[in-house]
Amino acid sequence: MEKNNEETLLEALRNPHTVRQGFASLVSAYSERLYWQIRKMVLSHDDANDILQDVFVKAWSNLENFRGDAKLTTWLYRIAINESITFLHKKRSQNHVSIDSDDSFLINLLESDPYFDGDDAAIQLQKAILTLPEKQRLVFQMKYFEEMKYDEMSEILGTSVGALKASYHHAVKKIEKFLEENN
Amino acid sequence: MKSHFNKLEEIDRTRNPFKVPDNYFTRFNEEMMNRLPEKKIVHPPTIPLWDKVKPWIYMAAMFVGMYLTIQYLTKQSGTGNVASRQTTVQPSPGEGARTEAYWSTVQVTEEEFYHYLEEQLVEEGYFDYMYDQYYVN
Repeated sequence: MEKNNEETLLEALRNPHTVRQGFASLVSAYSERLYWQIRKMVLSHDDANDILQDVFVKAWSNLENFRGDAKLTTWLYRIAINESITFLHKKRSQNHVSIDSDDSFLINLLESDPYFDGDDAAIQLQKAILTLPEKQRLVFQMKYFEEMKYDEMSEILGTSVGALKASYHHAVKKIEKFLEENN
Repeated sequence: MKSHFNKLEEIDRTRNPFKVPDNYFTRFNEEMMNRLPEKKIVHPPTIPLWDKVKPWIYMAAMFVGMYLTIQYLTKQSGTGNVASRQTTVQPSPGEGARTEAYWSTVQVTEEEFYHYLEEQLVEEGYFDYMYDQYYVN
C-alpha cells in the first residue's frame, strides 16, 4: 500500500465515525498477503483461516494502541506472526513434540488438507522447510515465497538485515542438503 | 509420478500447491466485518466552564491578595517614616529659639573654625586613613 493511501487509511481509522469503514478497507487490502504468510507457517487452510480471523479481531480491539510508529503492514505482520507462532506452540504441546524437535507432524496435516494439491516435490520442499529452526523457517518463507525485501523483514522481525541475509543463506543450504539427501 | 530435484532453483515457484476455496478472500472480508463488534464511540468528557477557569481565578485571587498585603505593609512602614521625619525636620518652636540664641553668643572666625576641624580630623585618625587609601596604593 502506498504511503498516501496508508495515511488516508490511518485517518479513517482514527476517526470514530469512519473507523469501521476504514477497517473494512484494511481487511480487504491486507487479508490475502497475511493469509499466505500464515498459511505457509501453519500449512493447513482451516488453521490459517482461524488465525487470520484472530489477527483481525486483535487488530480491531487494539486499534487505539496503534500509535503509527511503524507501518500498518508491519504491525499486522507482527500480529500474524505472533498468532501463528502461538498456534504452532499449542500444536506442538498437543502432539507432545519438544521445542527442539522439528515440526514434521505438520506434514500429516498438510497431506490430509483438501486445499493442498502439491506433488511429491512440493511435499519434499515442505518437509525440508519444517526441519529448519522456527526463526530461520520464518525468514525463509518471507523471502522465498513472499519475496519480501530484507528492510521490511527487518522491521517486522526486529532483526538486522545482515543477520536476516545470513539466516536465509543458511536456510537455503540446509534445504538443498535435505533435498539432495532425500532424492 | 515422483518428481526429482536437487536445487531450490529447479522448483517452479509460480505453481502454488496451496489452494483456497472459491471466492475465499471476498467472503472472508465480508464475514470478518460482520464478526467484529461495534466500537463504542467515546465522547470526550465535557468540562464545565467553571472547572476550566477555576485555576486562573485562584491564581488571580492570589496575586490580588499579595498586592493588597504589600500595599498595606508599605503604608504601615511609610506612615512611621513620615512621623519620624516630621519630628526631626520640624523642631518645636521653643527649641528653635533656644538654638538661635546659643549661636548668636558664639564668636568664632572662619580660620578658627577650619583649625578646629583639622584638629578633630587628626584626633580621629582620618588623615592617616586618607593617606593610606589614596597615596600609598
